[in-house]
Amino acid sequence: MDKMRKLGRGSWLIAALLGYVLGFCTSALAQQSGASSAAEQRALFRRGAQLWPIYCNTCHNARPGSEFSPAEWNMIMMHMRTQANLPAQDAQAVLQYLKASR
Amino acid sequence: MARAGGSSISPLDTTPTSPHDREIQEIRQEIRRLEQKVDQLQNEDQQLQKTNSELKAKDTQLKADTDQQIQNLQSNVASATSPESFAEAMNQYLGRYRFTIAGGVAGSFIYDRQNEINTFNIAMEPIFLWQISDKMLFEGTVEAALPGGSAADFELPVATIQYFVNDYAELVAGIFDQPFGDWYEDQSPYWVNRFITAPLPFGVNALIPPTDVGLQLRGGMQWGKLGQIADYTLWVANGPGYTQASCAGNTPPSPLPSCSSTPLVGDTLVSVNNLQLNTHTPAFGARFRVYPLPVDSTLGRLELGASTYDGKWLDGFWFNAWGVDFNYFKDNFQARGEWIQTYRQMPNGLGADNRQGWYVQGGYFLTGLAPAALPAPMQAVIDKLEPLVRYSGINQRAAVQSEILTNPAIGFSGSPAVFAPHAREVALGLDYWFAPSVVWQNEFDFELPRAGGFYSDTGAPVGATRNDRAFMSQIAIGF
Repeated sequence: MDKMRKLGRGSWLIAALLGYVLGFCTSALAQQSGASSAAEQRALFRRGAQLWPIYCNTCHNARPGSEFSPAEWNMIMMHMRTQANLPAQDAQAVLQYLKASR
Repeated sequence: MARAGGSSISPLDTTPTSPHDREIQEIRQEIRRLEQKVDQLQNEDQQLQKTNSELKAKDTQLKADTDQQIQNLQSNVASATSPESFAEAMNQYLGRYRFTIAGGVAGSFIYDRQNEINTFNIAMEPIFLWQISDKMLFEGTVEAALPGGSAADFELPVATIQYFVNDYAELVAGIFDQPFGDWYEDQSPYWVNRFITAPLPFGVNALIPPTDVGLQLRGGMQWGKLGQIADYTLWVANGPGYTQASCAGNTPPSPLPSCSSTPLVGDTLVSVNNLQLNTHTPAFGARFRVYPLPVDSTLGRLELGASTYDGKWLDGFWFNAWGVDFNYFKDNFQARGEWIQTYRQMPNGLGADNRQGWYVQGGYFLTGLAPAALPAPMQAVIDKLEPLVRYSGINQRAAVQSEILTNPAIGFSGSPAVFAPHAREVALGLDYWFAPSVVWQNEFDFELPRAGGFYSDTGAPVGATRNDRAFMSQIAIGF
């Protein structure tokens, strides 16, 4: 029984270590995806317009931007980024498209 | 004041001595009064001219100020009322961080021939979203349903804190949909599932726990052209738990074997919220997904996934699972499928409780396919139809008779045939889409279980299980 408990503690330790290492590695790759200039926002809009029908329809019918307010889309896209593991820049582009196409 | 022409007259020039002189004097006095009057009028005139000049100056200044203000207003109107800036202004006014509710509701009619069930049902599943910061979101889902013979049943299938570490990593902690395969996370909402029921491996007799409690690390990244992405989910959680058979009455003189505290082959999984009490070892899961086609591909959209989930379901006894899945769509056509294999190590010298499950489904939107000869209203109806077909099945060695459920619920017809050791189901569907997230779904289920296996709580062979037919109709709304 003690051996099993040690194994259980060891598993948690491995999981925590794995999470830390992956978090560190991905942090090193991380880039800021914020769009500041109008040109960048237009580029994001175009990218979002391409991705919106493809990414959304992968699981469900794509819902138009007019269904929610910009503030609601902020939260819903955070939720969808998690559900679908969307790349950050793609999620930002779809969000820009949904908010601007209302 | 000097008079023009030098005709100024002094009142002391002469003293009146005669009527003529007095008359002259009176005339002079009159002239002086008139002169004074003229002086007064000239003064008033000058004052008026001065006032007039000042008014003209003020008028000019006012016109200039008004022109400037109009110009300012026009420039403000032209520059500050785009929808984005207005929305941003509203957001700032209402507050930076917000709370909202999404989710779904479903109302259905269920008919199951074998149990002669006719019933209406309703359930709702609100999702509470609270954006704590730009990097942190709370998500909570409450599921409220109507169980048979009771007022309401509430569950908490999801309650998580999601923290975006960076563009490639996110931490999720709490109660979450099992990230194994696509079904629980992405396909289970009422209006997202094209059918009313779940495929057999994810339904009432599930092979993988629908939810779990623990911690996830997940993220996605682009590896090629636009749309060519890959993602991962790694998680550690409490792990699976199994319903212990209720064998009340299986004590002597009953001929049935006693099994009140004995795990049995074919035990059903605990459905949600696995607060694990019977093992100190958590379960570990990993899921990887790849999308090989870019968004502008003429070949459509393809998703390929693989999952594994491993841990102890009882101290010293392993549960292992792995699966593969796909999803494909192009134009009006969509297909998806999953295959799952599970292994459950059993105590007391019982053989392993191995199970397999699978499903494959396809659907086609009839949009744009209505014959031109049909009246416009008919074409409008056909445009919104989506016929569907699905085949799913489960293989396992045994079933536990006392754990078979026959109470219908949202997404379950009540048919006991889905608990057969070799359950098979063909489902035909016809969806009518009122809006992207509002659908009227109709489903015919043909339960076609194969013979084989045994009831592990009675030891009796299952033999040929009765086929069953069921019809369900449901309105599902995503909000």
